[in-house]
Amino acid sequence: MFNKTLLLLAVSAATSIVSAAEIPEAVISQSFFPYADSVPKVDNINVGMMIDQNNVDSVKEVLDPAMYRFIKQGDYSITVGETTDFALHQSYIDATRRYAGATALGNNPGEITGSVAGRPFPQEPRLDDPRAGEKLAFNYKYGYNWGDSAAIYPFYWKYRNMVTAKVERTVKMNFHFLNITHRTQQEPFPALTPNPSNLFRGLYVQVLEPFDVKNTQLLIQRFEDDLKRDNAYLYLGFQRRVRRLSSGQTTDAFLGSDIMIEDFEGYNGRISDMTWTYKGTKTLLLPMYNHNDMDLDTKTHKDKDGYQVIKFGGKGGCFPEITWQLRKVYVVESKPVDANHPISKREHYIDAQTFTIPRNITYDRKGDMWKSWLIGQTHPDHHLPINKGTGVSVDDSFSMVDIQANHCTTGQFKGIVDPALTPLNKMTVQNLRASGR
Amino acid sequence: MRKKTITLNTIAAAVVTTFSISHSVDVFSKETEWSGFIENATYVRDKKGLSKFRNTAQAEFTRSIESERWSNVRISGVLRGSYDGVYDLNDDEFGRDAQEDYLGENWHDNSTVSSQALLRPGVAFPCENDPVLCNNLDGYMDEDEHDAKFPEFNDRLDFIRELYITADRELSNGDILNISFGKQQVIWGKTDLFRVLDVINPVDYSRHNIYDELEDIRIPQWMLTAEWRMGPNKVLDDSNLSFIWNIDKFRPNNLGTCGQPYKIIDAGCFFSSYLNLGPGIPIIHDVEDPDWSLKNTQIGFKWEGVYKDTTFSLNALHYRQQLPSLHFRENPAAPGTPLADGVFDIHFPRVTLLGGSVDYYSMNMDAVWRLEMAYTQGEEQPRDLNGHKETDMLRYVIGFDKNLVIPSLGTSSAFLISTQLFGEHILDHEKDMPNDEDNWIATALVKGFYMNNRLSPQVIIAHDFAAKATAVAPSISWTPDNHWSFNLALNVKFGGDEKFPWSVSAAAGQPDVPQAEPLARFLNGPIGVANQEDELQLTVRYGF
Repeated sequence: MFNKTLLLLAVSAATSIVSAAEIPEAVISQSFFPYADSVPKVDNINVGMMIDQNNVDSVKEVLDPAMYRFIKQGDYSITVGETTDFALHQSYIDATRRYAGATALGNNPGEITGSVAGRPFPQEPRLDDPRAGEKLAFNYKYGYNWGDSAAIYPFYWKYRNMVTAKVERTVKMNFHFLNITHRTQQEPFPALTPNPSNLFRGLYVQVLEPFDVKNTQLLIQRFEDDLKRDNAYLYLGFQRRVRRLSSGQTTDAFLGSDIMIEDFEGYNGRISDMTWTYKGTKTLLLPMYNHNDMDLDTKTHKDKDGYQVIKFGGKGGCFPEITWQLRKVYVVESKPVDANHPISKREHYIDAQTFTIPRNITYDRKGDMWKSWLIGQTHPDHHLPINKGTGVSVDDSFSMVDIQANHCTTGQFKGIVDPALTPLNKMTVQNLRASGR
Repeated sequence: MRKKTITLNTIAAAVVTTFSISHSVDVFSKETEWSGFIENATYVRDKKGLSKFRNTAQAEFTRSIESERWSNVRISGVLRGSYDGVYDLNDDEFGRDAQEDYLGENWHDNSTVSSQALLRPGVAFPCENDPVLCNNLDGYMDEDEHDAKFPEFNDRLDFIRELYITADRELSNGDILNISFGKQQVIWGKTDLFRVLDVINPVDYSRHNIYDELEDIRIPQWMLTAEWRMGPNKVLDDSNLSFIWNIDKFRPNNLGTCGQPYKIIDAGCFFSSYLNLGPGIPIIHDVEDPDWSLKNTQIGFKWEGVYKDTTFSLNALHYRQQLPSLHFRENPAAPGTPLADGVFDIHFPRVTLLGGSVDYYSMNMDAVWRLEMAYTQGEEQPRDLNGHKETDMLRYVIGFDKNLVIPSLGTSSAFLISTQLFGEHILDHEKDMPNDEDNWIATALVKGFYMNNRLSPQVIIAHDFAAKATAVAPSISWTPDNHWSFNLALNVKFGGDEKFPWSVSAAAGQPDVPQAEPLARFLNGPIGVANQEDELQLTVRYGF
C-alpha cells in the first residue's frame, strides 16, 4: 500500500515535471503562427476594398466601436490589405518553449513566477478562466515588442486641432528602448548584468525640437517587480539638471500630448493597477501593413536613406493613411483599481500573434467613449533594410484621438532595430547629464 | 594672467569665426546643427518706469566629428549678444546720469544717520563719473554705460558663452571615459534658485538679480573635465567619478554696478559711495584681482551614483569665494579709523568645499525628497569689526517635489509642486555679523500645464525669515507654436525693513542704534533689498 502510494506520488511528480518543462507544439503553433493554415475570411471583406461611411454598416462586426464611429461620421476611411504573417523572432519562440511551462501567476494580481523570457502564457485564453485577462496582460508586458532593443530615430509627434486640422506643435524626438531582462536575441541574454535593482526595461527619450524643449530628456526604468513604481528622471535643458520625478501620476499627459503616460504603447502601467477581463476572441481589422507599400509623407522627414514617414489624413489629419488587415484579436477590458482614476475602463484589442495592442478605446468615468488609441505597425521585412528578419512588428504610426476634446496627437516613426543605437549606458542617469548641453 | 585669458578667448573667437564662414566645407556644414532664439524682455518697475528693454540674440551649435579612437566627439558652442535699451529709454532712472538722494534710496527710507550723514549716495557708473572710484574699482565694477548696454561685448569676449569639445573613449572593461575641454558651465547639485553645490561657475546677478534661470546667468569658464562612467555594478545601478579643473582666470560674481537696474543687495552703490569724513573716503580702495597662475586655478571632484530608489553625490571643490569680502584698512595713526584713500579692500579668499546630495523617491507618498549640503572652510562673512571674519559655513537645502493631477483645475496634465527650505549656518558667528547664525529661506513653486503644455501658469513664492521679506512671482507662459513663446510675469517683494547697528554711528552719537546702512543690506538679503523693485515683465521669444 505504502509502495503503491509512493509509486503514485512519483508518477505524479514526474508528470508535473514534464508538464512544467514542455509546452505542446500545438500550443506554440497556435500562439505564434495563427495563419499557418489559413487567413481570416469575412463575408463582405475583400482585399483592396475601401470601407467608408457608405458601406461601413455592412462590415461593422470587424471594426472596434470607435473606429466604426469614426468611419460612420466620415472622419476616416479604411483600405483593406492582405493578412500577413508577422512572425516573431525565432529566439522569442524558443524562449517561450523553454520557460513558459514554469510560468504561473502569483496569488495576488501583478504577481508572476517563473517568467524568464518568451511569452509567459502561450495557451489560448478561456472565458471560464477568471485570470485569463491578467495572463494576456502579462503576455503583452513581456511581449517581443521592439525586441531586445530598438530606437525610434527620429520620432515626430504632432499635436493637432481635429476641427481646424491645424498642427499646433511638432515635437521631434529620439526614443530608445532596452530590455534588461527577458532578452532573447541580442547578447547577452536572457539578461544584462549586473542589474542590482532587478530592472526589467528602460525607456530613454531625447527631445530634439522645438527650441523651447530641446535637450529635454526623460529616462524611465521599469522594475521586474510589477508592484514597484517606475523610476523616472527628467533633464530640462534650460536647468541643466536631472530632476527626479514622482512616477505615480500615470494619468498625466505624456509630454503634453493627448496620451496619458499609462496609455503609451497600449498600456504603460502596472498590471496590478487594473483588473483585467478577457472578453473573447474576434476577427477584426487592425492597422498592420507594409510601410514601403504605403503612400508616404514627403515633407515631415528627409534623410540620406531616403526614408519617409507615414502620411496622415482624415479628419484633422488624425488618421494614418495605411491599409488594415483582418487579424485574430483578443479583446481585453481593463478597469482601474483606484476609484479616483479618471477613466472607467479601457478596451484593448490585442493582436494574438504579436501581442501588441494596435487599438484601445478609453472610456471616462461616466462610461462615455473618451479616447481612441491606434498604433500602426509595419511588417519588418517591408521597412528599412536593417529591420529585415528581426521579427519585430515595427511600430510605425500612432494616433490618439481625444474624442471629447476634438483634438489628437499623431506619431510618425523611423523605427530601427539596431542594438548599437541603444547600449546599456543610454539607460543611466549619468547619460542624461552627458547628453544634455 | 589676463593675457593668457585673452589668448584663450581669442582662440575661441577664431574658432567660432572659422565655423561661421566655412560654408565651402560641405561635410562640415551638413553636420553642424544650429538653433537659437531672438528675444525681447521688457520690464516696468513700480514708480520707476522701464527697468529693462533687453534684446537678445543667441545661437547654439553642435558639430559632430568622426574619430577612430573616440566616440561621440563633438564641438558645441553658445553665442549670445544683447542690447539693453533701458539706458537710452529711461536714462533719468538708470545709467550714468542716474542719481540717488541718499545711499539706499532704492530700498529704505532715510530715517537713520547712516544714510543721512555718514555715507554719501552711491555714484552711478563710477568710470563715467568719478576717476578715483573708477581707479579703485578697476577690474570689478568698472563698466561704463556702453558696457551695460552691450554686456557680452567686452574684453573677456563674453559673447562666446560656451565653446568646448567633448569626446568619449570606451575603456577595455566597457566603462566610458569622457573628456571635455573649453569654455563651459559645469553644474552640480539638485537645487533650484539657490547655490549650495552649484558654485563652480560665478554668476551674473546684474541681469535680473536671482530670478533668471541659472543657465542664463552663470558665467562660463575655461575648464577641463574628465568623467569616468562606470555604469552599474553589483551594488549600484550607476556610478560615476568626475574631475573638474577650472583653468580660467578668476572671475567673481557680477553684482551689478550703481546705476544699473539690478544690483544685488545694493552692493554696487555701497561700493561706489564715500564715507562722509573730511573730503570723503572711498568705501573701496582696491579690489583683489588674482593673477592667472596654476596655483590660482580651481579643482573639484565628484562621485555620484544610483542606489535603489536613491541618487546621490559626494562633492569636493577648492575654489575662490565669488562674493566680495571686505577687509578694513585701519589707519595705524588713528586706530579704529580707516586710511584716507579707502575704507576697505575687496578680497576673494580661497575656499574648500565638501558636500553631497541625495534624492529619494517615496512610493508611498509618490513624491521625491532631496537633500543637498555643503560645508565650506575659508569663506569670509561680513561683520562690523574689520569688515569680515573667516568662518566655516554649512548650507543645506531640503526639497520636496511632487507631480499631482488635479482634474478639478481643468487639466489632465499633472501640476508640479515643489518646495524647498534653504538653510545657512555660520559656525563661527559673532554678534556684529548682520547675517544670523542660522537663517532660512523657504520657496514654493506650483506650475500647471494646459492646452497640451502650451499654456503654463506658475507661481513662485520665496520667504527670507531673517529679513522678514517675501517675493511673490506669478507668471503665465504661452507657446502658440513651435517658434513663438510669450511670458507675462509679476514680481512683487515685501519686507526688507530690518536694520542693524553700525559702530561708526557712535561717532554721530548713536551707538548701538540699528541703522539702515551699511550692514543691514546683508541681513535683508537679495529679496529684502529689492523691496521697491516690483515689476511687470513681458518676454517675447522667437526660437529656431
